[in-house]
Amino acid sequence: MSRPASGPRILPYSRVVAQDELKLALELNHVVPRIGGVLMAGPRGTAKSTLVRAFALMAHGELPVTLPINATDDRVVGGWDLDALIRGEPRPQPGLLEDAADKGLLYVDEVNLLDDHLVDIILDVAATGVLSVQREGLAGAKYLSFGLVGTMNPEEGGLRPQLLDRFGLMVTAETLDATARRLLLRTVLDFEHELASEDSAWLSAAERDDTGTRDRLAAARDRVRGVDVPDRMLELCAQAAERTDAVGQRGEIVAVLAARALAALEGADAVAPGHLRRVLPMALRHRRPEAAHGDTFDWGPEDEARLQDLFGA
Amino acid sequence: MTATPPVPPASPTPPHRGAAGSADAPAPDGLIRRLGLALVCAAADPALGGVLLLDLDPRLVEPVVRLFGAVLAGTTEPARPPLVLGAADRDEDLWTRTRIRGGEHGITVRTEPGPLVEADDAHGPPPLVVVPDLARLGVAGMRAAVQLLGAEVATVERSGLRGTVRPRARWLATCRAADAGRLSRHLLDRFAVRLSVAELRLPGPAGPLETLFAGLPDAWRTAAPGVRPVPVTDAALTRAQQLLGPDTGVRRQLALVRLARTLAALEGRPSASAGHSEAAARLIGVAVPDRAQDRPEDAPEPPGPAPGPAGPPGTLPERHGAARPDPHRVRDDRALLDTGPAQGIGTAPGPAPAPAGSGPYPEDGTAGARDATPLSGPRRRTTGPVSARGTVIGTRRATDLRDIAHVRTVREAAVHQRARRTERFTVSPADLHSNVRAAPPERVLVLLLDHTCREPDGNWQETLAPFLQWAYTSRATVQVIEVGAADAADELRAGSFAARSVLDPRVPGALHRGGGRATPLAHGVELAAHTLRRLFRRLGTGPAEAWLVVVTDGRGNVPLRVSHTGRPAGGVAAAGIEDAVEAAARIGAMDRTRLHVAVVDPGREPYGDLPHVLADRLGAVVVDGRHRSGTEDAGD
Repeated sequence: MSRPASGPRILPYSRVVAQDELKLALELNHVVPRIGGVLMAGPRGTAKSTLVRAFALMAHGELPVTLPINATDDRVVGGWDLDALIRGEPRPQPGLLEDAADKGLLYVDEVNLLDDHLVDIILDVAATGVLSVQREGLAGAKYLSFGLVGTMNPEEGGLRPQLLDRFGLMVTAETLDATARRLLLRTVLDFEHELASEDSAWLSAAERDDTGTRDRLAAARDRVRGVDVPDRMLELCAQAAERTDAVGQRGEIVAVLAARALAALEGADAVAPGHLRRVLPMALRHRRPEAAHGDTFDWGPEDEARLQDLFGA
Repeated sequence: MTATPPVPPASPTPPHRGAAGSADAPAPDGLIRRLGLALVCAAADPALGGVLLLDLDPRLVEPVVRLFGAVLAGTTEPARPPLVLGAADRDEDLWTRTRIRGGEHGITVRTEPGPLVEADDAHGPPPLVVVPDLARLGVAGMRAAVQLLGAEVATVERSGLRGTVRPRARWLATCRAADAGRLSRHLLDRFAVRLSVAELRLPGPAGPLETLFAGLPDAWRTAAPGVRPVPVTDAALTRAQQLLGPDTGVRRQLALVRLARTLAALEGRPSASAGHSEAAARLIGVAVPDRAQDRPEDAPEPPGPAPGPAGPPGTLPERHGAARPDPHRVRDDRALLDTGPAQGIGTAPGPAPAPAGSGPYPEDGTAGARDATPLSGPRRRTTGPVSARGTVIGTRRATDLRDIAHVRTVREAAVHQRARRTERFTVSPADLHSNVRAAPPERVLVLLLDHTCREPDGNWQETLAPFLQWAYTSRATVQVIEVGAADAADELRAGSFAARSVLDPRVPGALHRGGGRATPLAHGVELAAHTLRRLFRRLGTGPAEAWLVVVTDGRGNVPLRVSHTGRPAGGVAAAGIEDAVEAAARIGAMDRTRLHVAVVDPGREPYGDLPHVLADRLGAVVVDGRHRSGTEDAGD
């Protein structure tokens, strides 16, 4: 992939420091899109938005379809191309939801700040799989399917439980220790410095690493259909959901899909307890009653203790 | 080294606030230079493009804006007018611009990128966005700042317009340090360059702008466009981390090293050193303790984690120079850049050390009442009476013929005229838009719950039932302030949350929470006062109505000062009670035609009169809570 001079100046995915959980969630969602998306919560300045954009650039070669918090509904559900309309040509302009269905992903930065009416639209489409437009002389319905990726800082408010449940996986950004912070500072500064150079070995190496990751993900996508899910894993998953008071059944379904994706990424032929154990927090933490208002997503020692005898140490 | 003449040290006495441009006391010239250098750095590096000036004299806003504009333009000529954001700006005014023109075939309408993003893909100097008072900025402006400041890309998806831009605009905002605690940390964090300029004065008879320019070396005025980033040494990184302390967010650390990098580049140095990190810290007013020992620049770092700023063992590391007086005061005669600056750059004397509470991060110092979800717009009610009152904050597609937004409707119709092929200008039902107005006058129930006065098996739901029913039937929003909860995040401070209605499950949850040890009642009363003040201020003279219901035995044991600082100090005695009573008096002075107050007395002894004392100051009625709080009465 070439590096256009005027392209987005986003830190390469392979050079984003730490945040392994966030990266894993995005990769699992890429391997099995049916997981349905990822919600990333964390304090300000933890590279959440950078990571999503870097991942999209690495995986798809372009920025993700992005829904800004102040988008108007005509841009979300679609409308008319205004310039064409003024010339007397009725030409529909697809909305972001259609774009997202084409690309498979809709990214919402600061998703907890999204206006209520936009949340309603997204929920309607995500819940029914149908985008129905009856307005401004437009009349039609389309089947749409896309994964939601959202980033948010819980300090600024929570999410409605219905929207929360639409995110397949939920991960929290880690607070970095001093060593990781230093590495992060060094990486960002080096990146900004290298951007100014014509022929940067640093950027070329990062692109090579990104290509390697992309190939690894593509191989996992090819392999995932052949990964077996033993009945014992389904049993374990159901028991884990029960013990952690997960609401609804979407959590178990997503957990199994994610475990399968993880097994594919690791080259395993079948899902093992270790795969399931690793993805359970991502699939269940936002589906517990205390997370209903989106302001606490902690998965702590108590939760781990509940699963102790299921999975062992 | 420098060839610029020495500058007198900063005035040791607090300056007298005289007329803008000519104060009685001489201005600390170093501050003018620091301000100028900060603006040059912000102009040079887009990542430093957010400048927040704390406690700037309002009369100096205009000359500082002109100075920044001139620095951005690279000349002393007036730059193009800045975009000024305030409380009333709306998304549709900021992100898009509608051009309506008459032509041979009637009206044509075109939607173009709005003032916030129109220049981002153009050539020429970066545009300047000015926020005269960040604390009064409207939701649309705050959200725009969060989306654009420091962002590599921003997306516009409005009214048929779509695009991705790389933000270039520089932002200059001012704010009182005392107001910073109320603002969103998420927003404040976006301002990479912070400077407390309370002491900024412009001596001399010349005009304000000329005086500002006279305080800056010529080279600075045109330096910004040519600056290229230089490498940053490990020593510079280590020093920056030391200066800010281990708990500082990554954005602040990045801002400081970027500032150091830009200072080095302005000097013409090949790389940024630890000295540049110190110069950057002095520039924004972060305390710079002397290094433990002199060692060559960029010498290998000692092993182990980076030590925090010097301080006695067992004490918290010194942070930001704001919370406490700096024991390592910077010498007034120290150069801002002591690493050998080139001509004209960084030769100002060291800044006057920031007095306590006036550093670049004032929001860290106090736990002042913070606005709830400041970055979210007013919630739209989908039930209840529709009101045509309130300020227009936007338009939306009309569902009936009330409160039609005529201009928007005609504009919408104009777009479709050609396609409709009618002889006369036609407005169809699909064109109709109505006004969206700010939250209409509403009702609020503020519940102040002191969990430490609850009996182990107490039940408040029954006692509070009349108030909860009022809130339910009048569609009131609910603000719950909790004091002394067993699971409180900080037992020295009250916590609060806002709920859309009493049906929010967090409200009954709060009614059954267990009690802890500390009772920061005074802080809780202060939060209640803040909530009510904000409500009445937002709704002006509209018919808002509020109930404040306080459930407490009045035995506060955390003084207000302790809640603010988070640090217990000395004996408490009756200070917690006295502070609560004093804070209550401020609520008692509010508009009593719209505010009703009740104190629920759980009847605990001794000191059973304390709830009545509090009620007296609040101007409240006292409700007997005894018969409903114990199990013996549960069957009554």
